[in-house]
Amino acid sequence: MNLTIQNLSKTYPNGVQALKNVTLDIPVGMFGLLGPNGAGKSSLMRTIATLQEPDSGSIQLGDLNVLTEKTEVRKVLGYLPQEFGVYPKVSAIDLLDHIAVLKGITNGKERKALVKSLLQKTNLWQHRKNSVGGYSGGMKQRFGIAQALISNPKLIIVDEPTAGLDPAERNRFLNLLSEIGENTVVILSTHIVDDVKELCTKMAIINQGEVLLTGNPLESISSIEGKIWSKTIEKEELQEYQDKFNVISERLIAGKPEIHVYSDSKPDDSFAPKQADLEDVYFSKIKESTQIAEAV
Amino acid sequence: MLEFIRFELNYRFNRPATYIYLILMILMGFLAGGTDIVRAGGSGGKVMENAPIVITQLLVAMMIFGTFIASAVMGVPVLRDFEHKTDSMIFTTPVSKLEYLSGKFIGSFITLLIITSGLVVGIMVGQAIPWPWMDNADRLMPFDIISYLNPYLVFVLPNLFFFSAIFFLGGSLGKRMVVVYAQGIILFMGYLVAETFLSQLDNQGTAAILDPFGFGALQVTTQYWTVAEQNSLLMPFSGYILTNRLIWLTVGIACLVFLYIRFDFNLAGNASSKTKKKGKKMAREIKEEVLNPVVNQLFGPSAQITQLRSLSFFYFKWIIKQLPFIFIALAGVAFVFIISFAGGEGSYGIELYMTSSRVTQFIGIFNLFFIIIIVFYTGEIVWKERDVKMNLIYDALPYPNYISMASKFLGMILMSISLMILLMFCGILIQLISGYADIDWNLYFTELFVDTLGTMILYLMLGLFIQAVVNHKFIGFGLMFVFYISMAVMRELGIEHTMFYFGRTGLGGYSEMNDFGHYFQPFSWLNIYWFGFAVILYAIAILFTVRGIDSSFFIRLRLGKQRINGQLVMVVVLALIVFMGSGGFIYYNTNVLNEYQNSDDSNADRANYERSLKQYETLTQPKVIGTKLDVDIYPKDRDFKASGYFLLKNKSNDTIPAIHIQKAVDDQVLTKIAFDQGVSEDTSNSEFKYVIYTLDEPMLPGDTIQMNIDITFTTTGFKESGSNTDVIYNGTFFNNSAYFPSIGYNEGFELSSDDDRKEQDLEPKERMMETDDPRGIAQSLFGDDADKITFEIVISTDSSQIAIAPGYLQKKWNEGERVYYHYKMDTPMVNFYSMISADYTVIKDTWQPPVDSLPEVALEIYYNKGHEYNTDKMMRGMKEALTYYTENFSPYQFRQLRIMEFPRYRSFAQSFANTVPFSEGIGFIQNIKTDDVDLPFYVTAHEVAHQWWGHQVTEAGVKGNAMLSETLSQYSALMVMKQNFPPEIIKEFLRYELNTYLTGRTFEQKKEMPLYQVEGQGYIHYRKGSLVMYALQDYISEDSVNAALKRFNQDWAFKEAPYPTSKDLIKYYREVTPDSLQYIITDMFETITLFENKTTEAEYEKISDSEYVVDLTVNTIKYQADSLGNEEEQVLKDWIDIGIFTEDSKGKDSLIYLKKHKISQEENSYTLTIGAKPTKAGIDPINKLIDRNPKDNVKTVEEKEEEKPES
Repeated sequence: MNLTIQNLSKTYPNGVQALKNVTLDIPVGMFGLLGPNGAGKSSLMRTIATLQEPDSGSIQLGDLNVLTEKTEVRKVLGYLPQEFGVYPKVSAIDLLDHIAVLKGITNGKERKALVKSLLQKTNLWQHRKNSVGGYSGGMKQRFGIAQALISNPKLIIVDEPTAGLDPAERNRFLNLLSEIGENTVVILSTHIVDDVKELCTKMAIINQGEVLLTGNPLESISSIEGKIWSKTIEKEELQEYQDKFNVISERLIAGKPEIHVYSDSKPDDSFAPKQADLEDVYFSKIKESTQIAEAV
Repeated sequence: MLEFIRFELNYRFNRPATYIYLILMILMGFLAGGTDIVRAGGSGGKVMENAPIVITQLLVAMMIFGTFIASAVMGVPVLRDFEHKTDSMIFTTPVSKLEYLSGKFIGSFITLLIITSGLVVGIMVGQAIPWPWMDNADRLMPFDIISYLNPYLVFVLPNLFFFSAIFFLGGSLGKRMVVVYAQGIILFMGYLVAETFLSQLDNQGTAAILDPFGFGALQVTTQYWTVAEQNSLLMPFSGYILTNRLIWLTVGIACLVFLYIRFDFNLAGNASSKTKKKGKKMAREIKEEVLNPVVNQLFGPSAQITQLRSLSFFYFKWIIKQLPFIFIALAGVAFVFIISFAGGEGSYGIELYMTSSRVTQFIGIFNLFFIIIIVFYTGEIVWKERDVKMNLIYDALPYPNYISMASKFLGMILMSISLMILLMFCGILIQLISGYADIDWNLYFTELFVDTLGTMILYLMLGLFIQAVVNHKFIGFGLMFVFYISMAVMRELGIEHTMFYFGRTGLGGYSEMNDFGHYFQPFSWLNIYWFGFAVILYAIAILFTVRGIDSSFFIRLRLGKQRINGQLVMVVVLALIVFMGSGGFIYYNTNVLNEYQNSDDSNADRANYERSLKQYETLTQPKVIGTKLDVDIYPKDRDFKASGYFLLKNKSNDTIPAIHIQKAVDDQVLTKIAFDQGVSEDTSNSEFKYVIYTLDEPMLPGDTIQMNIDITFTTTGFKESGSNTDVIYNGTFFNNSAYFPSIGYNEGFELSSDDDRKEQDLEPKERMMETDDPRGIAQSLFGDDADKITFEIVISTDSSQIAIAPGYLQKKWNEGERVYYHYKMDTPMVNFYSMISADYTVIKDTWQPPVDSLPEVALEIYYNKGHEYNTDKMMRGMKEALTYYTENFSPYQFRQLRIMEFPRYRSFAQSFANTVPFSEGIGFIQNIKTDDVDLPFYVTAHEVAHQWWGHQVTEAGVKGNAMLSETLSQYSALMVMKQNFPPEIIKEFLRYELNTYLTGRTFEQKKEMPLYQVEGQGYIHYRKGSLVMYALQDYISEDSVNAALKRFNQDWAFKEAPYPTSKDLIKYYREVTPDSLQYIITDMFETITLFENKTTEAEYEKISDSEYVVDLTVNTIKYQADSLGNEEEQVLKDWIDIGIFTEDSKGKDSLIYLKKHKISQEENSYTLTIGAKPTKAGIDPINKLIDRNPKDNVKTVEEKEEEKPES
């Protein structure tokens, strides 16, 4: 069952165009949606999750029209929003049980077993009596995925789940995601390149509401193989290099900027060739789209 | 500090809320000033709308609403820093705690002052605009800024300061808005409790101090202000007002000091809440391999029911755990208890039995709290998921759209039901504590689970609708408020029909005799009608409620279309059918089967009546001399039929060419009239049901004619309002004047209030005819239709009931399901007779007159089973009264006397010939204790006295007439009571009479009259009457008064025209009054005279154990007041009591010295020697004279200090 998005556009009342003609074909498996903050990822995710109306375009999940057959879509949907709160003073087990009822698990015995297995799977069983409001960020996200997994959904949407998690928690969370069944469409939106690199077989890069690239992470990397060059410079020189070369990213290493430049050939001798990775793909695409936007 | 003030002000005036509050205040003030929509205080009549007291009452009342704004403004300034987490930033800057707190407080307080001054501005502008529908000259005095500033400074400003201090404290220390709300509710409770105490004379002082709003103090201070004083006096900053203001100002300052000491300016206080839970976090997490269990997702109807149930209980549990909810509910319950035990007193401080119907009324007070809960929590519950940011998870779950709204609705209903169970439990507890174990479960169930729950369901649906559609919590709250206001606006615009007033389904009065009677039917239909409407609203709410993140109107409209499905359409169609169908049925009942008229139309009709027919008022007409009737009452159908005849006689010296008949105007009555002679009928005035019958042969003086009448009173369906409570299932009681035809023009139909007359372009009119008006003297108080009549009636009813009318029972028989009673009066009686039918229990007794030659009198009390508490007191009242009146005035004219209970739709007792209908509400359920005024006894004695004063001596229908019937009955009953009860009870009784008289004056709409000119003013002819007559018999002796009355009775009893007036009676009083005291007759009856007696010094010196010398200095001022209460000081030449109390063996104060002294100057000193140690002493110590400050008449006597020789 594929998820097909065609020509999806959305402009907010304040004039911000969140989605511009987005067309994506998302197959079964883990799909990474990569983009900086404010790229339109959440708008897209919410639209797929039946929570927001696009201005135009269509979304099809197998035979279902996501935009009109909302109730049917919700029956097979697991959704973890980017930010969510919980009722204060309600324990994890009660809250999960409550959500399970609303997901249609109305048989009490089945539900009890399901809640137990989900809490165990997400390692929250020993904290089940505690209020979710008192959970740490990682625990809360795991609770979030637990509720999304109720009833083996066919479509799982997780919106920026790793933002703000410490590395250990992040790993734990990604492991959880990786165990999700293979017959499921899983869309993971993130601004962290490593999330996609570690988990996804397919991905899309999105910026300013537009899809910049879709494909397999490894193929994308190989497409820029040999075109990335790096150099360590002084802080004062940064502006000069940015003017002169196609600098796609810079980062500080021991207090000095190291720049990455995208170029078909070696820009000059001071640059060293660099093994391209997904991050370079990401930054080169972002850079490209920003330049186009500015040129327009 | 200035920086903080500036910052706070800047912040406030950049916030829209500030302007919304300001606009709201101006608007409320404007509406109050310019219209009658928002009304407070005693304006109306002669008190001007911009009189200081009216503005004060308006402002203080609106400050109750102002509390809400004060809490919003003052609760948040410090709280805000915590919520926005700027606390750490501010607290680390080098600011002192004092600067920070005072800056915040002063800044917010200034904002609050600016907002509330909007109220004053609003009122000023509202009053200044010359509204076309208001006559400014009539309602306004010249503008005076002081009238506005005075209440603002005396009441509003101190109130605001105190509220601010409290809320600022709560918000800053509690750090939660809930604390502030809780404070608001406590303050409101303080006000409600104080209001309860205010109605009790003994607790007024407590109330005046207790009420944080100052309402109590205001009321106690101004309660006896006359119209003139109300129009001129400013609120004094002294007495109770000063004490109250000082106390609450002090509490306010104490709050601020407490805050300064306790406020933690370090971050520790803030951090502590977060460190609590950290310890547990690092628990080990062991990963276990688990298999996903197989589960089934179900979405069918049974699954939806499970979801609905689960969610409903989830919301229910959530609400009942909310602190504000618990708090409001507890406050409400506490209030129900307080009002039940403290406010349960009726007139004269007498408690009523704690019957289920009383307790359910007290529980009704909780409805206010219910509404608060409903309004507040519909907002909270609609926004719940969004408030905790869980909405996106919820909204993506696969439950149908309606489930969310339905479960919120059901959760609230569960909450309401559990509150009702709690209330029912409380009610039963209250009854049991009061020792009244007769629990009427059915009544509890109907009041709570039918009436209240029905209303709650409607408001709940409305609330959910508004919140869902408006999609802004606070605008939603605001709209609910606007909704209430709009109902008042509609009323102002003349839209009065219940079908326009959402949720107004009122069950009407409950009577233990008649249960909910016929009210239940319209109540049920109106509930069905509004329920249909509410379901439509509710369906709209489901369609447009936000699911997901789109909240724009157009997207919601698009989504709404998507959500329409067969079931929803079916529900809406069904609801529409119910709404339209029941609406149609209600309309058919109220406007087709019955006549509907709003009050303006009915006023216009009455004005037209006067314009068209007033010309006939003085026409000579025959008088009824005999009545013979067959009356059949059908209680189950609420119908009756009456047929028979009136015998008319031309008692004048003129020829009467035409007889004018006024048929009953009630649209339920159909009147047919025929004469035993040839007449031609002129129906040109039939719109007024006024028919002129021109006689073929005019009536010559002395001629008689028989007028046959045939009347049917039919009840069909139900009325919009004012349904008939005379002819009912159980407890029918009506008299001839409302249903039977009367002769000639009826002045009673004329509009009486000056305001109403003005609206209809009519000149103001006098309330009654002048005392010496010949036309007035020629007719009795019962009207000009008849003098005395012979009376015979056969009255029948359902065989389960007893039917009663004046006269002696001749025969009783059954025919099928009906029972017939034939009554006949053997002496002429007044043309005023009652017809009664109910299911009665009867007690019988007899009274032997003190004179052997007089016949025995049969005594009967007809009452509703279960109401036997006071029947023995009534029986005793009849006997004692009959004895006293027979001995002192004249023999009783009948051989029987009957009391019959009627339902409490009306609360009075009324005397017909040998027949006294007595309301269920006033004598039957009072719990009389030994130190209470025995009201059933007293009222009985009063009504029995009317057999003399009214039935034996019937007075002229002119000004001052009630001095002959009501005042004399008050006096007679008071003397019977004096003979049977200790003096303390009489004193207690008179204390209430004085209070009611003085309060009554302040509400006078037209003009206060001296007693001998009284124009139907109850506070004068009853209350002042009691006081004056008690004083009269004290001054000239009871025997002298009785001698005068005996003579008066002898001269005037059983006479026809001319009838006696107050001027006649006064002559008899003067005859028995010594010359030296003639002035008291003038003071008491002919003028409005008040005293200001006061004891300024009271000291004693002990000479020996049996000799004490008391030095007293007293002050006396005597005033005469005009009809508006303008007072003029009088020359003193008065005899007034000087009295000294000592402690008797029981430890009570008893008079050891009481003597009248001649007072001829303002200050008087007395040195008196008595035989025991004095406790209190003073002038007019038992308050025989009318005095606006009766409490300062006596003073505790202090022992004189030894005078030391100077060195």
